[in-house]
Amino acid sequence: MAAEVFVVDRVVTKPGQARRFVDRYLAEYAPGAVERGMTLRSVLVSPPIWFDDRPNTVTITWSLPSPLAWWQMTWKGRPDPELGRWWTQIDELLQERERSVAAAADDVEALCRMED
Amino acid sequence: MSPVTFNVTRLLDVDAERRPAVADELRALAARSGALRRVVAPTDERSRNGGDLLVHLRFADESGWRAVESEFDAVAGRPGVTRVTGVTYRGEPHRRPVSGTVYRTLLLRVAPDTPPQTAARFEDELRAMPRYVDTILSWQLSRVESTVGPTAWTHVFEQEFTDADGLMGPYLMHPIHWAVVDRWFDPECTDVIVRDRVAHSFCAVDDPVLS
Repeated sequence: MAAEVFVVDRVVTKPGQARRFVDRYLAEYAPGAVERGMTLRSVLVSPPIWFDDRPNTVTITWSLPSPLAWWQMTWKGRPDPELGRWWTQIDELLQERERSVAAAADDVEALCRMED
Repeated sequence: MSPVTFNVTRLLDVDAERRPAVADELRALAARSGALRRVVAPTDERSRNGGDLLVHLRFADESGWRAVESEFDAVAGRPGVTRVTGVTYRGEPHRRPVSGTVYRTLLLRVAPDTPPQTAARFEDELRAMPRYVDTILSWQLSRVESTVGPTAWTHVFEQEFTDADGLMGPYLMHPIHWAVVDRWFDPECTDVIVRDRVAHSFCAVDDPVLS
């Protein structure tokens, strides 16, 4: 069984923009991500208050069944210039953004040995 | 470390019916070019934007290339050659004690607005990859001096791999690639600095190339 791969988008919104960001992310970005093979695992808002005058941190976690599935996902998305444009446009709601790729601690050794 | 050499790479798109003749002409030219190492080979079909023929020559110094450059240019202008992309650069390869059976070159363009310290971090991470991927048997990362074709390539990252499986498997599937280095190429990541399509080209080789 291949190790799952997690894609984590962590953003800090501009004050009062968290709800708008989450709505747009789920409506505009998520459907294409699902088509590219990602499964949405969680959308966490911290603190869990829709502030109108303060930033929120939003952490969105996706999963893919294997490193190969991660490559297939990114190969599907990379030729599409709209994807990069979407991230550029959504930046108007954000102060910071970071995407990272992770795995379960128990899977790290197997992933580095590249066992399926 | 091996001595610094002057290196030339050309990736040629050639009509299928003309490909053997063009390859033969390039091989003959390479054989008498005085190059210390030479590759003229059809590219593996899993190459991406990598041309149909891969030509790579390593000279002791630039004058060696300049003496034969016009002859290579003439072959690149033959009927049936539909596109040529290429680079010249200098560099020093790093080697493990064994040679590979697959030579791979990656041509890439770092965006011109990239701060130098960011480009240096990117280069450091590329250089670190062989520490994690033991199917890379030799490697060289170089900055480009001149280009041929529409893309203003800035870097060349070359490797010899154990075999094609060592490239398509461990190199691609190790987390150092997809969870660390690839973010420089990923338009969904804020660290992206390589926005143009890369040229990823590889072929089988019988003799060491990066030495």
